[in-house]
Amino acid sequence: MHALLVPLAAFALAQAPAPAQTIDVVPLRTPPPLDTVLLPVANKPIVSFRLVFHSGSVDDPAGKEGLTNLASDVMVQGGTRKLSSSELLEALFPMAAELDVYNDKEFTAFVGRVHKDNVDKFFQIFTDVLLEPRFDPKEFERLRSDAMNAVKNRLRGEDDERLGKVALDSILYDGHPYRHYVGGTVQGLQSATLDDVKAQWKRVFTKDRLVIGLAGAVDEALAKRVKDRLAALPDTGAQRAKLTPVPRRVGQALVLKKDALSTAVSMGYAYPLRRGDPDFFAVAFALSYLGQHRQSQGVLFNELREKRGMNYGDYAYAEHFAQDGWGTNPRTNVGRTVQDFTIWIRPTEPQNAVFATRGALHFLQKLVDKPIPKDQFDAARGFLAGLTRVWEQTDQRKLGYAIDDRFYGTKDFHETFRQALAAMTPEQVQAAAKRHLKVEDLNFVYVAKDAEALRKALTGGAPTPIAYPTPKPQDVVEEDKAFTGRRIPVKADAVKVIDAQTFMER
Amino acid sequence: MPRLHRLTAAAALAFALAASAPAAAAEKKPFFPYPMKVDKLPNGLTVVRVPFTSNGMIAYYSAVRTGSRNEVEAGNSGFAHFFEHMMFKGTKKYPTGEREKILGALGFDDNAFTSDDCTIYHSFGPANGLEKLIEVEADRFANLEYTEPSFQTEAKAILGEYHKNAAHPELKMEEALNATAFKKHTYGHTTIGYYDDIKAMPGKYEYSKSFFQRWYRPDNVIIYVVGEFDDARTMELVKAAYTPWQGKAAQVDIPKEPPQAAPLKVDLTWETPTLPRHMQAWRTPAAGLATLDGQVQTVLGSYLAGPTSPLYKELVLEKQLVEQVGAPYSEHRDPYLFPIVALLKDEANRAAVDAAIDREVKALADGKVDKRRVADIRANIRYTFLMSLETADDVAGALAYTGAVYGAPDALDRYYRRFDEVQPQHLVDFAKKYLTEKNRTVLTLKSRAAASQPEGK
Repeated sequence: MHALLVPLAAFALAQAPAPAQTIDVVPLRTPPPLDTVLLPVANKPIVSFRLVFHSGSVDDPAGKEGLTNLASDVMVQGGTRKLSSSELLEALFPMAAELDVYNDKEFTAFVGRVHKDNVDKFFQIFTDVLLEPRFDPKEFERLRSDAMNAVKNRLRGEDDERLGKVALDSILYDGHPYRHYVGGTVQGLQSATLDDVKAQWKRVFTKDRLVIGLAGAVDEALAKRVKDRLAALPDTGAQRAKLTPVPRRVGQALVLKKDALSTAVSMGYAYPLRRGDPDFFAVAFALSYLGQHRQSQGVLFNELREKRGMNYGDYAYAEHFAQDGWGTNPRTNVGRTVQDFTIWIRPTEPQNAVFATRGALHFLQKLVDKPIPKDQFDAARGFLAGLTRVWEQTDQRKLGYAIDDRFYGTKDFHETFRQALAAMTPEQVQAAAKRHLKVEDLNFVYVAKDAEALRKALTGGAPTPIAYPTPKPQDVVEEDKAFTGRRIPVKADAVKVIDAQTFMER
Repeated sequence: MPRLHRLTAAAALAFALAASAPAAAAEKKPFFPYPMKVDKLPNGLTVVRVPFTSNGMIAYYSAVRTGSRNEVEAGNSGFAHFFEHMMFKGTKKYPTGEREKILGALGFDDNAFTSDDCTIYHSFGPANGLEKLIEVEADRFANLEYTEPSFQTEAKAILGEYHKNAAHPELKMEEALNATAFKKHTYGHTTIGYYDDIKAMPGKYEYSKSFFQRWYRPDNVIIYVVGEFDDARTMELVKAAYTPWQGKAAQVDIPKEPPQAAPLKVDLTWETPTLPRHMQAWRTPAAGLATLDGQVQTVLGSYLAGPTSPLYKELVLEKQLVEQVGAPYSEHRDPYLFPIVALLKDEANRAAVDAAIDREVKALADGKVDKRRVADIRANIRYTFLMSLETADDVAGALAYTGAVYGAPDALDRYYRRFDEVQPQHLVDFAKKYLTEKNRTVLTLKSRAAASQPEGK
């Protein structure tokens, strides 16, 4: 159904004189209970399990933010009816079996990986984790305290880049179930009890929310065993979380004040564009050209880092992005009903943060104003087509994308993406960029030491020229002049400064 | 380039975890389960090919046996890593940006990273781009050329990289630990380098060129090609492209670190709230193909502080004094460190955690060893290895890193097959000989708020 609705909405947005005040929520698809993706691979000795529930931090009860994440941690680490937490570790260890859980706003993925020699033993443990968690009070306390530390120390104090991104979510989705950090808030975790965790397990990890993924050394018989065993999950639990329309916010800025050597920058806005929309591939391509995550081809990377030495990297995203482990691949199963367009400027020297912001706005505006030159278009297109192949190399990743397809109503996402790329023209991409990418709609987050200076620079309108340590080519100098005084679309009364130590308290 | 994401220990650890050996592999059968062809060109360049089913993808790795270990001149720490960035700055034939356009259009994920012992350049993408990739790679290794302004701009990107890393306590800990434990050897500085040296990098243009002349030579590099390709055709292309590259790598004396004479300690303060850290690290022998010291330390890490160790059970699960404990040992070419690190839940737990580590080390050194656990660790290493080689990129990465650290194209097989030989008594002997108080550095990190409290609180 949404395939019809979304383009109409996009059309309306493009034509209407005044933009809508909220972003409508078109629900994702609902696959049938225990829907199964089976991807056998010949001669592969590894078995991959991927159980994805359409449940996430949006399902956290008010005042218990972080409960879904905590419940899944207690399931995966806290032991099963048969095995205590330490016995669970001992059982998994000689097999080097992987058992993990990945959480996001709307999805929770339980992931298992084991050599085929050990599949029977692992199958039992993995399904026990879902069906018969131990709910040991001591493990609950341990994991709750870890979760609180993850907010109080890790998020606030040890990773300014992640802090900036989580803070951007918090302003784009203020008042919406997406607002809080997936890992929870300090107060929400503080008030969570073991009974809450048990209840949440029953409420959200249910058959009607589960898609089963199996790949590698797997067959129909294994799929049947998994389905038969997981049939013991509750049919249904809580009502699906109500995703209210997202208020359309523009021109806000949040500065998180902390003692930092450099200034981290994130910007973006929520929008209705997502996989399945006819414009999605064109916008995803435009933003890959502007700044593919941690790749050196992007415009922002070349202009801000390579030519101007601003920082370590600068990237742009058409949908919410989480990195999969150490590499550069996007994590799968972080699908969202409402998506966001974001730009990530890695930490700059404090005096250059506003200049870098203006640079990003300038290059984004160019992308909207003019078609991408044909030679660059072809290069960027080849790059992205190749990169989609890199993204589908492992069985877990293939499963992740196939499961995402079930919720977005798309089919063979990467193949469709490559076909769409082959048919695209620079004019079409520009037209789609124009429809969806708007400098004026951006919101901004900074993690910075001198918050007041930043507030003044953002709203004062004074140019922020830069002093380079070395002479720059004339074209760079000229282009700098074009944006050092550029208006930053931040409303003077919409800059909020908070102490990073208070972030996600509740 | 995003050049380098996994600096130093992180890189080494990732590969150490990713690769290991079988307990039950037959003696004569190669441990690495894929056929491998190795050739050495007349200019000294080693070329390794591994056919691997990969859905039309190819992984191409150039492993340079130079890392921050080679930075012997004072004031020039961080240059191996900086130089890794400069390798993306172009040649006469393909000036700045051309490489990205060519490899980009072909769809290659193209990057590099540097560790203490080596620098690895890696590309992963469609096999039909291999011919062009070989040409572009050979060209930059032989003919790199960059201007002083481009060099100076890149120095600022490195500064940005340092700044982003500096938000994590681990960088400061690594800096302090290395500087305390090593006074002579170049392991005394981290791979990214000292902050002051990084800030001074823009003035080192001439030095950077000499760095290239000294280390980027064919006899110091191993190339790995993994995936679906025609072997004869690939070798033909490699020979044609790389033969003009000539010269011999420099020899440099890395200063030897004298034996540690007495226990060392270093205390750090972190400005913002953070969980306290406690580390004990011992000076230990190098990993290598001729001894079992690397394998023994890897097994020892799991034995003393892995998820099934008594230490983990006590500190993490039962008493809950720490959030995490582990021994992130990483294999090094020269004698390095064996660490045990704990992330304390509270400053008040420090003494108890320190005592628990001491107790476990002493028990092992006194000869108390759990044979079943050693067998389980070997099984874990075997399955971790088998499961870590899922893609052509995984295989090339494991081969290149071990190849560069040990200086042999087939090091992965030779090193990891010997895990089979590690016996419980090896752990006892090793602990007795090396995990001594005299050999140890203790590192503490506490946040400013906790540090300002009186002792004992």
